[in-house]
Amino acid sequence: MSYKTSLSGSWWRKHRFFKLYMLREATVLPLAFLLCSLLAGVFSLQDAERFAQWQSFMGNPLIVAVHLIALLASLYHAFTFFQLFPRVMPIRLGDKTLPAQWLVAAQWLAVVVIIAIVLWVVSGGEP
Amino acid sequence: MNVQTRAIEVTRYSPERDKEPYLQRYDVPFDESTSILDALNYIKEHIDATLSYRWSCRMAICGSCGVMVNGIPKLGCKDFLRLYDHTPETPIRIEPLAHFSVERDLIVNMDEFLTHLEAVKPYIIGDNVDTASLPAEASLQSPAQLSRYQQFANCINCGLCYAACPQFGLNPEFVGPGAIALAHRYNLDSRDHGKTERMPLLNSKNGVWSCTFVGFCSDVCPKGVDPAAAVNQGKVDSAKSMLIQLFKGSQLQGEHQ
Repeated sequence: MSYKTSLSGSWWRKHRFFKLYMLREATVLPLAFLLCSLLAGVFSLQDAERFAQWQSFMGNPLIVAVHLIALLASLYHAFTFFQLFPRVMPIRLGDKTLPAQWLVAAQWLAVVVIIAIVLWVVSGGEP
Repeated sequence: MNVQTRAIEVTRYSPERDKEPYLQRYDVPFDESTSILDALNYIKEHIDATLSYRWSCRMAICGSCGVMVNGIPKLGCKDFLRLYDHTPETPIRIEPLAHFSVERDLIVNMDEFLTHLEAVKPYIIGDNVDTASLPAEASLQSPAQLSRYQQFANCINCGLCYAACPQFGLNPEFVGPGAIALAHRYNLDSRDHGKTERMPLLNSKNGVWSCTFVGFCSDVCPKGVDPAAAVNQGKVDSAKSMLIQLFKGSQLQGEHQ
């Protein structure tokens, strides 16, 4: 008769690699909170008083802190995603595969471009 | 001459005698070139002939000597005592590969992996042609065509990736990194026509979508296969295959109407 152990719930605490994986997966939690906050903002648009309440909620230092964590979490998630992307979708041109660093750099460049566009739009489109 | 020794703890389990595995300690002499496998061989030859473990080639090609060393899947022949700075108080711990059932001492039952491996049809499937009758040129392959799958063809079926995969640990029905990497290897082969036969299993619940890209399988792979990349490239293939099926399904319905 053979012996089999089952995986305990604390399996991820046994190695740094697994802890980083759990951290990557856990980035969804503050992001989910941010999305719920934004969704609540959309619903509060129905009524001026509720919108004012939502604005004061968003200005609460604790909420701002959680949203800052969400920003850091999404940057960390983006970092891991961008690193993994060239392995999942290697891009071949003819006989050659594009170097992974190029793809990682291209994704960060896209982030910078998108942030610049958003900032430009938010600032009222002034050049 | 002053011979250095290292303390080693090895899992012992005899199904006739023991209710559960236990650790047994040995002190083995070592130098710069002593591998984990050398240490096990030393124990077997000089200390305790009852110790059971698998090994064969001693050069990381047969894939037999996979064990957990301090909790990390390793090939015994490719891992060295000198890499572990351990004192007599904290021995190097050698255990059977995780997520498989233990038959005896360090020997695990790899049937689950082998069943999955067989299920993905890891061989070239022709196009219902008798390949023997084809001219040799029919199976020629350019270096570019070879380079598409070569990395995934380096798998030696050692099972370290399965011992590294928590998803396989939680659900042994998961086809798993090694078998999916080999399925992908044949799907990418220009001589192969078997992709449609392999995709239903890869598309299934226990196929590529059971993977959450922990990625530890690729970290422990002794041959640089990067099974995590293969599995996640398989997700891209699976998504395409599902879309095609959806399209074909609606086309078929259209024909019936």
